[in-house]
Amino acid sequence: MQVHQFHPTVSFGDAVSNQILSLQHLLRQLGYRSEIFCEQPPFQFEGRTRLMQEYFRYSSPENLLLLHYSLGYSPQVLSWLDQLPDHKVLVYHNITPYTYFVGVNESYYEAARAGREQLKWMGALVEAGWGVSGFNTRELAEYGWTHLDVLPLVFDPARYKTRPDPKVMRRWSGRVNILFVGRVVPNKRFEDVIITFYFFKRRVCSDAHLFLVGSAHGMEPYLEFLQALVKRLGLSSSVLFTGHVSTSQLAAYYRCASVFLCMSEHEGFGMPLLESMYFGVPIIAYKAAAVPETLDGCGVLVTEKNHAAIAELIGLLLEDRTLRERIVARQRERVKVFFPEQMRERLATLLQNLTSSWRVL
Amino acid sequence: MAENWLELPGENINVQEIMRQIRQRIAAREEGESTEADEPESIAASLWEEVIGDRAGLAGLPLSQRECDIVPRGYVIEWRVPVLGPIHALVRRIINAEIRRYLLPALEKQSTFNRKVRRMLIDLIRENALLRQEVRELRQKLEQGQQG
Repeated sequence: MQVHQFHPTVSFGDAVSNQILSLQHLLRQLGYRSEIFCEQPPFQFEGRTRLMQEYFRYSSPENLLLLHYSLGYSPQVLSWLDQLPDHKVLVYHNITPYTYFVGVNESYYEAARAGREQLKWMGALVEAGWGVSGFNTRELAEYGWTHLDVLPLVFDPARYKTRPDPKVMRRWSGRVNILFVGRVVPNKRFEDVIITFYFFKRRVCSDAHLFLVGSAHGMEPYLEFLQALVKRLGLSSSVLFTGHVSTSQLAAYYRCASVFLCMSEHEGFGMPLLESMYFGVPIIAYKAAAVPETLDGCGVLVTEKNHAAIAELIGLLLEDRTLRERIVARQRERVKVFFPEQMRERLATLLQNLTSSWRVL
Repeated sequence: MAENWLELPGENINVQEIMRQIRQRIAAREEGESTEADEPESIAASLWEEVIGDRAGLAGLPLSQRECDIVPRGYVIEWRVPVLGPIHALVRRIINAEIRRYLLPALEKQSTFNRKVRRMLIDLIRENALLRQEVRELRQKLEQGQQG
């Protein structure tokens, strides 16, 4: 049996692409032949991925094709999949509810809406659905899917074993810095992070800074709104929108961060939470979607967005060293669950369960 | 603030005590300043309306003003051959002028038409939203009437 993977695009740095690459590595370690196929020519991954038109050379009823799903598939992909004799499993990374994109990005709005519509009947096209979190799996169940399981994202520490960017380190190290990492999209509620920071700076620590790390590509109206908010609240000199950063810059921002503050209302998993755990940055997060499951009892969860109270909580975390160390210690334990060794075992078990069901049939 | 708005891990962490400290700190700070707890939220809400709100009304219309304009205004045919410079410059000027004379009026007409269609679509979307709202309100009244 060969286990291949498909996703419409593979690009540098996003969680879905990283997961695809990590899974390929694990599958090969488990002894499977494994290639990555895309609909569109890949960006920066030439040689590591192939176009879906080449799949006919690999296709076989003995093989398994993992279909990564984070937006809707095109009609071409759907008819291609329909013709393949391979076993297929959908790996569900979640689709952001389309209402978040109204007025911000119409193409995303349409793609997210179409993606959710497709989910209703895609169960007939595949044998099973693996959510990257229990939250995602439950969503599939709501759409009537059966044969569900959870295969979380892999956290590979090797990816972060890079020298933190010296420029960022020199500039920000040793200060009070609040951090949030994620694509600048409305569901992540950057405005709530900014408002909490407003209270924190005004009432708790006047020389603090806020780093908002992530690309705003395609979300320019939302970025424009956030920048206007920052300006109106008088925070222009304290809030930094970094845009897309390299791994070494990302590592530097984590190293310089005092607290990771996540106010997101919709996360299918939340890879930056694992990054914060790994870099020893205490997490304060709003309890929504897959966040509590990813944290699983580590970090601090808030069930309401009382900005003044959260600002005081950040202050308390900075002052109370013992509390901070306890939280960080639990976080460091938690992130190990997602290390490649553990995920390899999990993947092997899922594959074994799947193939044994084939034998029964 | 809800009673249990905070969830902290670990047996050795006294969550109640942390919440008490936070309440105490907030009270102490609010004593010394004017109450404007909602101010940043309302600023954010009005900015959202200002920056995104109008666009939100146009959900489902993936056609920008820029896309309507199909005239290649900045485009010129250009080549550089230094030896025969003056002759080439003359030929280039003539070709550019001729292409503009034949092509641009048609493209301008099309762009004007596109812009008008876009304007009409925007008006229709707004009218549609108003009608939907009206239907919702009438339905509500009808339901209330049936219940009453």
